[in-house]
Amino acid sequence: MKIGGLIYVMLKVIEKELNLNEIENISELENEEYNKFVDRIVKANKEIFVLYVLANKPMCGYDVIKEIFLRTHVFLNQGTVYPLLYSLEEEGILCAEFTRGNMRSKLYSIAIEQSETIQKKIELFVKAVEFIPNFFKW
Amino acid sequence: MFRDTIKGLDKIIEEDIPKGSIILVTGAEGTLKSSLVFGMISRYLEKNNEFGLYVTLEQTKESHMKNMESMGLTTNCALHMFDYSDMRAEWKDNELDIIKVTEEIIDFYRCKQEKLTVFALDSLNALCSLSNEPNFRRSLYYFFSNLRDKGLTSFLIMETPLSGTSILAYDTGRPEHFLADGVIELGLIEAAEGVKRYIQIRKMRGVNHRMEKNQLVVGKQGLSVIGSIYRSN
Repeated sequence: MKIGGLIYVMLKVIEKELNLNEIENISELENEEYNKFVDRIVKANKEIFVLYVLANKPMCGYDVIKEIFLRTHVFLNQGTVYPLLYSLEEEGILCAEFTRGNMRSKLYSIAIEQSETIQKKIELFVKAVEFIPNFFKW
Repeated sequence: MFRDTIKGLDKIIEEDIPKGSIILVTGAEGTLKSSLVFGMISRYLEKNNEFGLYVTLEQTKESHMKNMESMGLTTNCALHMFDYSDMRAEWKDNELDIIKVTEEIIDFYRCKQEKLTVFALDSLNALCSLSNEPNFRRSLYYFFSNLRDKGLTSFLIMETPLSGTSILAYDTGRPEHFLADGVIELGLIEAAEGVKRYIQIRKMRGVNHRMEKNQLVVGKQGLSVIGSIYRSN
């Protein structure tokens, strides 16, 4: 499965299992609780979310944080994202380069030789997400 | 042991710095604050199966390393360097909760390396100037408490006015001096034969230490402490 299609599957799973229409009608208190769950899921799996956005487009740390916030409404703090980017770069999972005319900001992308592994990792994460709602049908 | 990381340091610190202590390393520009801390940590990690984190708020990792190499200091893979240059280039300073960011960086590396035991911050002045906290003194108290709770032996570098400033005037209203377990002062003294660098242990809780100023020199093998600065005059 292409990475681009994975987000579609994830959204479908969430839509189907959690029923987003109902979520729109939940009270403010429940909404707060819901946001806390989403916040925990994204923060606990931040590496997957970071890798996913970078698999779609090379970005700098600022844009990675912004993109994840736009998609999930979860703000990943700078102190967690930048060390992660540096660490993934050191491990050879990410490549970093300065953009032309901007020597102050590095653009990160998935290393070509790692793209298949990363794609598989994201697929496994989606599978795990799909598995969780099954527990609640029990 | 930290006292055997710099040649001659064991002459002025009789016992080792207790683990989990917070040590302020103060001094004016050019007094070798960064070099001393980097040298001590780097040597310590060479001899112990532990990890260290050195964060620099104002210098890039590359420029810091170049500077250290020029002093004959080398690093090892157990000492991780982190600089804020990307973060500070991409975010406005008021968008960064710098104390929180620093604590998160420490937590990130602690998760990666269970044996992360040593931390260095270069510098506390930069942390202070970048902080948006209205009550920085209170934030600093919690920052120090968190470092202690994590059990990290921490070296916090602090730039101070030129040597010779009255100790009393200098200490007034400086909470970091009271909160820290140790204060190592580095300075410059004009002598007949030229300017000399010195190291003085102003405070080290739970450790017997000498109080006088000792000369600090840079050689091919890094830094060394070579005895009382007055005796050698």
